[in-house]
Amino acid sequence: MSTALIERPPASDPRRAFAPSEIEVFLLHEAALLDEKRFPEWMALFADDGTYWVPAQPKQESPFTTASLFYDDRTLMGTRITRLQHPHIHIQTPASRTMHQVGRPLMESGDDEAEGECLVSSTVLMVEYRDDQQRIFAGRQYHRLRKEGDGFLIVQKRVDLVNSETVFEPIAIPI
Amino acid sequence: MSELSAREIESLIEPGRISRRVYTDPDIFELEMRRVFGRAWLFVGHESQVPNPGDYVTTTLARQPVIMVRHSDGVVRVLLNRCTHRGAQVVSQRKGNARQMSCLYHGWTFDTDGTLASMPMPEGCPAGFDKANFGLAQPPRVAIYRGFVFASMAKDGVSFEDHLGGMKANIDDMVDRAPAGELALDVGMHRYMFHGNWKLQVENVLDSYHVPASHASTVTKDGKQFARREGDETGAKVVDKSHVSKDWKVRRSYDMGHGHGWTSNTMLDEGKRSSPAYDAYVQSLVDKVGEARAKEILTPRLHNSLLYPNVSIMGLNIHVRVINPIAVDLTEVIVYPIRLVGAPDSMNAANIRLLNVTHSAASFVQSDDAEAFTRVQRGLQSQLTEWVDISRGLGTEDHDDTYNAPRAQATDELVVRAQYRAWLGYMREAA
Repeated sequence: MSTALIERPPASDPRRAFAPSEIEVFLLHEAALLDEKRFPEWMALFADDGTYWVPAQPKQESPFTTASLFYDDRTLMGTRITRLQHPHIHIQTPASRTMHQVGRPLMESGDDEAEGECLVSSTVLMVEYRDDQQRIFAGRQYHRLRKEGDGFLIVQKRVDLVNSETVFEPIAIPI
Repeated sequence: MSELSAREIESLIEPGRISRRVYTDPDIFELEMRRVFGRAWLFVGHESQVPNPGDYVTTTLARQPVIMVRHSDGVVRVLLNRCTHRGAQVVSQRKGNARQMSCLYHGWTFDTDGTLASMPMPEGCPAGFDKANFGLAQPPRVAIYRGFVFASMAKDGVSFEDHLGGMKANIDDMVDRAPAGELALDVGMHRYMFHGNWKLQVENVLDSYHVPASHASTVTKDGKQFARREGDETGAKVVDKSHVSKDWKVRRSYDMGHGHGWTSNTMLDEGKRSSPAYDAYVQSLVDKVGEARAKEILTPRLHNSLLYPNVSIMGLNIHVRVINPIAVDLTEVIVYPIRLVGAPDSMNAANIRLLNVTHSAASFVQSDDAEAFTRVQRGLQSQLTEWVDISRGLGTEDHDDTYNAPRAQATDELVVRAQYRAWLGYMREAA
């Protein structure tokens, strides 16, 4: 009967067991849009009052009293994306190629979340290649999501890089 | 390392051109660290970074680690961050508060004025050992003007007063914008680096010629840049039908001596500048200094000012920028947003936010500049062409009587030539 062992499927098939929640699918979709440089579609994931924040300090309390790498509302995000699509954006000539890896999602919502909103954290790793150099951005990201029809809108996104306060070479692609 | 003779150094600089070697030669870089940065008045920091006794920040001056600390007597000191025993860096944090500073290695402990306070097992010191000789080293000259702390590593040289000269008015211009009459550099910082020589950034802060090409991606179809000030709907008109616009050409640059210079602003539509935050700020200023003086202060005069060799003060997106050379082809830049003390929080928040998109590592403006600097450094590896051309406007400059300074169109290279005149002054004399 020993041969039966190799014929029997594993107790749990990780591929079949993978049943991502709709929130995880949303986060993976967002990462894919960034990697595919579909920036207007990425921006469309944000609510009209949505913001994208990458602090320049660990545990930064506010984007209003301290400098940040990014703190875009939709107006600034629009300017950023227009520029990313401009033929003469030198910092993207040659262009970057990126891989955003999102993992370990956790539900962070407390009792104080607004109706229809939730707060999710996940790890994020962006590997960026450009002009013969590869570099890594890593951190934990927080998404405050608002249920909208069948999907979600991003009310706030915050990325806490492990090296938020370091000296960076120029950054063009959102993390 | 071969020491260059005065004659060799002089041969690197001609009236309208400079040798590529000033950007690429490691020996020249090492010489600069001693002869330029080892002598010049260097910006260290701002008093507002260390408001309370024991507050300190650490930084580097031409690679040398320093501590700027407020002692218990309230006076800000600049100390070399190097234990007088075996040389370890004493303070490792970027900022903090300490009553005393202890070296991690053997435990020598210093007061915040640099005095050696104690050491473990003092009985081991030889006869005649005098603690008074083992305080942390201090730059021989330190001077403070309206909170801006400068230091010179040389005992002798041009006095701070003479060095600052007419640029004093440019510091005043910025400080006077604060209703309380003081600035604070206490709202974080941006740090970016590029693989290029430090002088590329120094030249660039007063370069109005590069904007239409380098920053094309920030200009919309109507030729205007995005709004860079709170209360503006759009930014300056840079391009007109693919040509540099008239507005852009009226900007002027001024050679203020000692390598310093400044460029005037493009006038935006000042009458239309308005937003809740900006209007509240204007009111706070009017309340303090009156309508007439407030109007004078708010009329833009300065785009950017350079205090050679390591700091610029920008009037458009208000900030202080420090240029830190690390290697001949590697430079770190620190950008401190300015907080206008006494201005409404909403106005300071708006300035902080706009600076994120103009001068952070992830900004729309600075990232393209850094790319340009990196490409210059690569291009200059080309040995077949010796000279870098800086001749724009050579011989056409006039004299401005108001500022008593040579003046040119800001798209000319007058101020770059002025920097190399100062550079030669420092470099030709042995340290």
